[in-house]
Amino acid sequence: MTTFTPFKILPLLFSAAFLLTAGSLWLPGHLSLLDNGYVDTFKTAFLGILLEALPFVLLGALLSSLLRVFVPDELISRWIPRRAVPAILFGCLLGILFPVCECGMIPLVRRLMHKGMPLYVAIVFILSGPILNPVVYGATLTAFRSHPELAYTRMGLAFAVAACIGLIIYGTVRRSPLRLSIRREGSEEPHGTLRGGRAAAVLVHTSDEFFEMGKFLIIGCLLTAGIQTFMNQSSLSAIGDRPLGSYVFMMGLAFALSLCSTSDAFVASTFLHTFPSGALLAFMVLGPMLDFKNALMLLSLFKTRFALYLFFLIAAAVFTGSVLASFWL
Amino acid sequence: MNSSGSIRFHYVLRAVILLAFALYIGHLVQQDALHYYVAPKLARWIRLCPVPLSLMALSLGLQAVLGRSSALCDCEHRLPRSLLGSSALYSLFLLPLLLGFLLPDRALGSAAAAKKGLALSYTAVESGTGASFTAANPYEAEFAELAGQLYRQPVIPVFPEIFSETLGALNLYKSQFEGKEISVSGFLYREPQGAGRSGYAVSRFLVQCCTADATPFGILLAPGAQISLPADTWIEVRGKLHVTLHEGVETLQIAPQSITAVAAPSTPYVYTNADAAAAWKELQP
Repeated sequence: MTTFTPFKILPLLFSAAFLLTAGSLWLPGHLSLLDNGYVDTFKTAFLGILLEALPFVLLGALLSSLLRVFVPDELISRWIPRRAVPAILFGCLLGILFPVCECGMIPLVRRLMHKGMPLYVAIVFILSGPILNPVVYGATLTAFRSHPELAYTRMGLAFAVAACIGLIIYGTVRRSPLRLSIRREGSEEPHGTLRGGRAAAVLVHTSDEFFEMGKFLIIGCLLTAGIQTFMNQSSLSAIGDRPLGSYVFMMGLAFALSLCSTSDAFVASTFLHTFPSGALLAFMVLGPMLDFKNALMLLSLFKTRFALYLFFLIAAAVFTGSVLASFWL
Repeated sequence: MNSSGSIRFHYVLRAVILLAFALYIGHLVQQDALHYYVAPKLARWIRLCPVPLSLMALSLGLQAVLGRSSALCDCEHRLPRSLLGSSALYSLFLLPLLLGFLLPDRALGSAAAAKKGLALSYTAVESGTGASFTAANPYEAEFAELAGQLYRQPVIPVFPEIFSETLGALNLYKSQFEGKEISVSGFLYREPQGAGRSGYAVSRFLVQCCTADATPFGILLAPGAQISLPADTWIEVRGKLHVTLHEGVETLQIAPQSITAVAAPSTPYVYTNADAAAAWKELQP
């Protein structure tokens, strides 16, 4: 057992002090290095995504802690229909009630699963929640004024993909793929002993969740901001010239850009003349379900094998679905 | 499992970080710099964040100082146990704070626009055909109404409140706006060298949610224009609209009569407007 005492941090402070001194001596001569477009763009994109996600992560963490402290175990599982198909429909509708951005979703879902929500319903909720809600529908309609059918198809495809994956998971996954960090039994003892009572317990859990999810969020934001700063979108779009290449390209772009589901329709609409509408659909359905920051958070929630299986299912289902939908469009 | 002493230490560190985040948001609000990062409708929610953040910091601090050792337990959420793990975790959280406090707040400009690719038309508009401003479907009704209003102006003003909608309306009926006079301001964008074209445009970033989805929108300036101003200068352009072929697509261009440098506006980005025609009426003196 290792302990972490304040004294052990002293050597770390020395090195920090050294870096600080060295940095402050070196920096004034090289300020021009920091003063270029890349650093500004990187900072603006990075903090933009982080600040955008912050209210949702806090809300998700708070809801999750409230559930943990105030809602008794197994209450949630009584509300969920026993049979698979109604339960999957329930999972899709839950997204309409909780219009949370995908970043706030993971802590909430984690707690719901702890309280007895079956895995496949939780997956359906994670996948459909960020798309199947009135806010996103409105934003998509505004972005595609002259092609309203794209907005309907987006909703329909998201529903179909989420329901299919839910059914597949219901049929194929038997053992709990959750990581061990949340143990099902024994850890749910009342926290009345914390100073400040239940209110303080809620806040302490909220901050635990915040730090747990925050690290993945920050790594995701860093990667996304790096891509946004250094990747040249117009030169990359040449890859998408071939018919199927455009689908792969748009799906890759959706994964890399990590846009919020309420605003990605707009970015998609700027590609309307370049790519077929099926590829735009793939962009708008895949992005909210799976992107950099989301994938990292899913990896923290599920065991790696299951998470990779889920990523594969999402990518395959969205690709097939949007190619099929493009025949109809 | 960690000892209660080290849990206390972690709690103090976390409380400090949470407080620093709350302070940073407070600092952004006070400097009126939040709009550099997120759209106003989202900024409302971010302004509220310091409240839960400081409450969380307070309760963590309370446990660290007054908490009974028996109640301190990291059974559910494991705290990092090694020195390396802890310093990696906390430096990750310090990174955005350092970036935020140390570097100046700046709006996105030409460098970002070049990477994202300048958009020259708003939404998917099949160029308007009819002689009058009639909408082909109900979703274009708003643009048709706005275009009708714009057409009646001697010089078409492009208000920042309805920047993208005005460009959209002009684009939808571009053939009818041929030769009309326009006045628009934005930052000077220069097409990157080596792209086989060296054009200028007057542009603004449209932000939906946050700067990650910022899309640069603009109107090209006709190729012959002599411009000595550096890129990213805020300019006001007056000139006549013309329809030309740009990379095989019919595009509106301004043949500038005057280009003047102006002061940068307090809000550098533009946002979408739910009802542009109503906003137009409100903007009329």
